[in-house]
Amino acid sequence: MARKSILGLYETPDAGADALDGLHAAGIEAHDTEVLTGTPYPEGAFGEHVPQHRLFRFPAFGAVFGFTLALLYTAGTQLAWPLVTGGKPILAVPAMLIILYEFTMLNAVIFTVVGIIFESRLPNLFSTAAYDRRISEGLIGVVVSCEDNKASEVESVLRRAGALEIKTA
Amino acid sequence: MASNITAAPDHRPTFREAAAHLVAQGRTAASGARLWILLLLAVTVVGVIGVVGRIAGGFEDRTAWGYYAAVVSFLLSTAAAAPMVSIAPTLARASWVRPVTRVSQLFASVGVVTALLYIPLMFALPPLVEDGVRRRSIWFGSPPLTPHVWGSVAILGLVFIGLALLWASSIPDLRTVAETATGMRRRIARRLAMGFIGTDTQWKALRMRIGVLGAFYFVFLVFTHLVFSADFAVALVAGWKDAIFPMFHAMTSLQSGLASTIIAAFFIRKFGRLERYLELDQFWAMSKLMFATSLLWFYFFFSAFIVFWYGRTASDQAIIDTMVGGPYRWAFIATFMMSFVIPLFTLMWNPVRHSIKGPTIIASIILAGMFLDRIRIYAAAWSARGINDKFIREVPATHWPDIFDVLVIVGAVGAAALAFLLATRLVPAVSLWEIQYMRLLTRPVRFGKGHAVIIAKPD
Repeated sequence: MARKSILGLYETPDAGADALDGLHAAGIEAHDTEVLTGTPYPEGAFGEHVPQHRLFRFPAFGAVFGFTLALLYTAGTQLAWPLVTGGKPILAVPAMLIILYEFTMLNAVIFTVVGIIFESRLPNLFSTAAYDRRISEGLIGVVVSCEDNKASEVESVLRRAGALEIKTA
Repeated sequence: MASNITAAPDHRPTFREAAAHLVAQGRTAASGARLWILLLLAVTVVGVIGVVGRIAGGFEDRTAWGYYAAVVSFLLSTAAAAPMVSIAPTLARASWVRPVTRVSQLFASVGVVTALLYIPLMFALPPLVEDGVRRRSIWFGSPPLTPHVWGSVAILGLVFIGLALLWASSIPDLRTVAETATGMRRRIARRLAMGFIGTDTQWKALRMRIGVLGAFYFVFLVFTHLVFSADFAVALVAGWKDAIFPMFHAMTSLQSGLASTIIAAFFIRKFGRLERYLELDQFWAMSKLMFATSLLWFYFFFSAFIVFWYGRTASDQAIIDTMVGGPYRWAFIATFMMSFVIPLFTLMWNPVRHSIKGPTIIASIILAGMFLDRIRIYAAAWSARGINDKFIREVPATHWPDIFDVLVIVGAVGAAALAFLLATRLVPAVSLWEIQYMRLLTRPVRFGKGHAVIIAKPD
């Protein structure tokens, strides 16, 4: 079944929060709703589903990857070309520490950059979600993505919460 | 005990007023600034003539490139450092900085001018190995063109990150511009907004992006100053071995970055009629930071100077004579006064700090001091002879600018102002979403009979 994007415009954050409560009570899934604002509101200000980013995983994975790579590189080269010096171990750990640190940090940074690009989810040039320019003037938009047969129910919930206007896309 | 806080009338612009005013300001300011743009374009052309003249004179005579290097360093120390004004306080969650974040980030557009000016200078820098002799540098055992490569990476990287930071923080405003502007401005804004509509995920990603790009910008700024000051100044003077100088170079740039932001904010406030957005609070807060960085100027200068002064070897004395007490004494004394003494003994007074004109005048003096500082360093360093000697044997005489130097100096400043002005034609000079966010989280109140502002810090 085709899906619709329905936008309700609200004057105040409280009215937007009421709309979200009403939608959830009507059985609309949290991931089908979105709040559009002209300025970043603090997390949970509308009682909305807070999407969790995964950026922290990227530097962590990069650091582990870099450390492993550096360990293989430093240990591998020393074992492949052993310099036996008067009873000292072949693997010179103090000298390896510098390379281990550099590789760990370098890969953590590179993976962070990759993570930002991945997590940013830009560009979104072909978005079909309903939108209204008054959102950048301070109005709150509540967008619902729903199937066609639920559209009238969603619209009535949005209206009950005090929507100034309902738009469909 | 009951709180003394009571409600106060809120005269700040509403969301709607701010949106209408700040986006329209780009149009009205742009049309009013058309004359300025033409004028600055003419000055830039004069600068291009200067650059062409300098290049036509050849790269063999290093002395001739001293003022050119000073100009590149001046831009790196002012415009390139200005975005730090938005980065550090934002990371510390300072609320006052929001109206000036865009002003400071717009200086990233000047990076294009710096990068273009850097290209000829790169060819004037001698290779590490000439006639089989390797000169002293921070690049032990590296291939001959190493400093050129890393200098380019540093400057181009800084410019790229700066522009990315400006773009990232402008995305929400570009969306608003795309909705309200017309013609080419609308088309460019729509393309650069990249589908931003203000969802929770997009806001989260935006703030994350600004934070990470800001951190990268700081790291790259310090790296660029390290590489540029070491390769284009220290390494050219025989016997100049100074580990503190690159940090002096970077730290003093923070003082001038602040000064640049204050001056730009003053003009944007005055000619853009943005008095309701750029208020006394912003100038007051920036002047406190400028006072602190003025103290740092002396701290880092003296930390480097005392090593040579106390060492007192022939090499140390020659370096002091070259940079401080010799033919460029006039520039050093002027710098010392304008970058340290005058800011210190004026900004220590609250009536000066707590004003808009006071910090702006001091900022102008600091910028003049910074310019003379870079002249004393780079004009002297590029005039030094005997690059492979153990220490400098003949202190170079003062090298005065020729006509091409004057054209380059005037043209570079004009081109920098032009780049800044052109950037304000696309994005609002005061960030709309930052202003709205500030309004969202703050509220003017009465505290007893006085005034106060309640600030929410939810995250």
